[in-house]
Amino acid sequence: MLFNSIDFFLFLPIVFGLYWLIGGKRIKTQNLLIAIASYVFYGWWDWKFLSLILFSSIVDYSIGLWLGKTKKISTRKLLLWISICVNLGFLGFFKYYNFFIDSLIDSFTFFGKELNLSTLNIILPVGISFYTFQTLSYTIDVYNKKLQPTKDFIGFMAFVSFFPQLVAGPIERATNLLPQFSKKRSFDYANAVDGLRQVLWGLFKKIVVADNCAKYANIIFNNHTEYNGSTLLLGAFFFAFQIYGDFSGYSDIAIGISRLFGFNLKRNFAFPYFSRDIAEFWRRWHISLSTWFRDYLYIPLGGSRGGLKMKIRNTFIIFIVSGFWHGANWTFIIWGALNALYFLPLLLTNKNRVNTDLVAQDNFLPSIKEVGQMALTFFITLIAWVFFRADNVLHALSYLQNMFTASLIYKIEIFPSTILLLVLFFIITEWLGRRGEYAIEKIDFMKRPIRWIFYILLIVLMFSFTGEEQQFIYFQF
Amino acid sequence: MKKFFNNIILFGLVALCIGEIVVRLTHVNSDIPYRTIDDMGIQKYYPNQEGYWKGGDHKWMVNSLGWPGELPDNYDNLITIIGDSFIENFMNPNDCHQSAYLKREIPNYNFLEASRSGVTLIESMEISKQTDTLNPIATLIHTGNGDIYESIKEIKSLNDITQLNTKDEVIIHGKMKSPGLKKVLYSWKLLYYLYNRFPLNFKNESIADSKKDKTEKSKFEINETRIRVLLNYIKNNYKIENKIFVFKPNSDDNIINLFKSMGFKTIILDSSKDKSWSFEHDPHWTCYGHERAAAQVSNKLKLSFLNRITVD
Repeated sequence: MLFNSIDFFLFLPIVFGLYWLIGGKRIKTQNLLIAIASYVFYGWWDWKFLSLILFSSIVDYSIGLWLGKTKKISTRKLLLWISICVNLGFLGFFKYYNFFIDSLIDSFTFFGKELNLSTLNIILPVGISFYTFQTLSYTIDVYNKKLQPTKDFIGFMAFVSFFPQLVAGPIERATNLLPQFSKKRSFDYANAVDGLRQVLWGLFKKIVVADNCAKYANIIFNNHTEYNGSTLLLGAFFFAFQIYGDFSGYSDIAIGISRLFGFNLKRNFAFPYFSRDIAEFWRRWHISLSTWFRDYLYIPLGGSRGGLKMKIRNTFIIFIVSGFWHGANWTFIIWGALNALYFLPLLLTNKNRVNTDLVAQDNFLPSIKEVGQMALTFFITLIAWVFFRADNVLHALSYLQNMFTASLIYKIEIFPSTILLLVLFFIITEWLGRRGEYAIEKIDFMKRPIRWIFYILLIVLMFSFTGEEQQFIYFQF
Repeated sequence: MKKFFNNIILFGLVALCIGEIVVRLTHVNSDIPYRTIDDMGIQKYYPNQEGYWKGGDHKWMVNSLGWPGELPDNYDNLITIIGDSFIENFMNPNDCHQSAYLKREIPNYNFLEASRSGVTLIESMEISKQTDTLNPIATLIHTGNGDIYESIKEIKSLNDITQLNTKDEVIIHGKMKSPGLKKVLYSWKLLYYLYNRFPLNFKNESIADSKKDKTEKSKFEINETRIRVLLNYIKNNYKIENKIFVFKPNSDDNIINLFKSMGFKTIILDSSKDKSWSFEHDPHWTCYGHERAAAQVSNKLKLSFLNRITVD
């Protein structure tokens, strides 16, 4: 079920009503309702894959209980590895099996040998990368004794399948989300209103910004040989806003809906395109994934404790793994590696934690230096996005080759002024609201009639500019 | 919780009001004319209505007789034009109507259109009973495959359009489909906009399409006898001497030949050697399409019918 579909528009009020009216303040009933609603939500796409979520939930719930009972280190390690193998096994099979087979065949062909292996017709279960990481975080945290194993199976099922963030995150840590399922939740007016506002902003990002940018990004990327450099640059610009609007829009909707049900999810995006260097960008982009890799991969690998070589190695590992997490394609691996390369100079000069505050924290406008820094950071991420968007590595290289020619300064061949004005409106709103958790969080200073007119303007824009793309990009990851 | 729901309802009402204003001011929907059924069982429009077509760049109008388009200056040398949404032509301004183009081509004659979207061939014939009271020298009846098949109750029973029961040879007049709901939908422009924007589609299109493909090929063969009954009924119950049947481009040759063999006068429109007559996302004709269609009709009229020579 898509957030921007009529199905969901009917589904949400029903679940919301049942949750607060029937569920009342009984935690178990509320959890059961969430679990059922989440399974309906997921099953709407394909009910057959519900068994995967259920199996994953049973495995990690049981392992959690077992870890709680045993103190023997070898048994604990074995249990942890079972969980890792089961979860990553599913992920590896559904997401990476064909990629590895294809790569193996290509490697043998490169050396003049023929390998008789065939790929499988596998459907990637929506959101598998997200809920796999979420359940893994539970087992790892229980193993590391950061979290007590839960005995409430329904609560655990609801945690794994929690519908607002099930298919595209934010990837919640068990330490943050799971305890909320055992706490008393009562309706909070301010929280619910704020949640709805965040949902509205998320829908605007998705429907108006992402879907409309997608239209032009697709035209330009799919016919890149026919356009000059400046148009290709615009194509990359459109994709940058498509992916940002799409993914951060989903996160906003997920966080907003969770608040309607009395849950607080972690922030996933913090205005990343206002970053002054790539390190700041990665502290602001897909925060839940970056911190997951930091805590469960980078730090266990030694982090930055083992000297420069280890720092560089670990940085490359997490960026490349992060790229690979996005999809079974070399383009994502190169995208990750490219970001690691961008990160390297900051790491080597120990400047990766210089820009930890908000840009123009106390000012209305940024300084010229900050504008330059933001523009440069945005530009290099734009180059990396070309790999992320391209169908394959050759496509990306050809795109960049055609972009970096003398025609980069020629007149742009496609100039959808209305869409660019919408993007400008979006950037200005984000800039003005950058001190909040999301752009329109602090809108409360306005009087209610003005606030409501602003909300209605957003709704009117959504209806007027409903783009062609409707599927969220991150569903495929 | 109560405050939350109250505010949601209040916000919803305010949003509906503002949405209604925006939809009306920007004309994102076409205004829909109100229909009625007259004493003869013909669905037509309430007279003297007007409204904007989608986007608001032109207005449509319904004349005092209850038909879309302008009335001629006088009824001398009158040629009437009967048809469906192609002739109704709300999507183009009045000067792109068949009557306007034909008047330009043959200025000595006057033209009156009597059309409504969805009319079947048999309903066109019923309408011609009304227009015949104006003593036209000729009546052009625009038709196509669908209009003919839909005229026959036994092929597909449709309650909202006029059909012929070929078994008993009885005309069954169409009834208004959900008139109350339609009135609400057309008056509440925002609701109509949302209805158009997010249509509720309960049909499995792929199944419907595959069935259609399988039956389309043999449709004429299956229904030839019924079509013959229909045409005989038309021949026996209407004044057909001054009727000319104008077939849309790509009409079925079998049907056209049957019309000819039974002595009906026909004009066959052909757009195959021309650029598209239709809008990009709408099968209806653009102004260009209407101009080309009118040119072909007027050529045939000048060459034959108006010179007292039998057409085709």
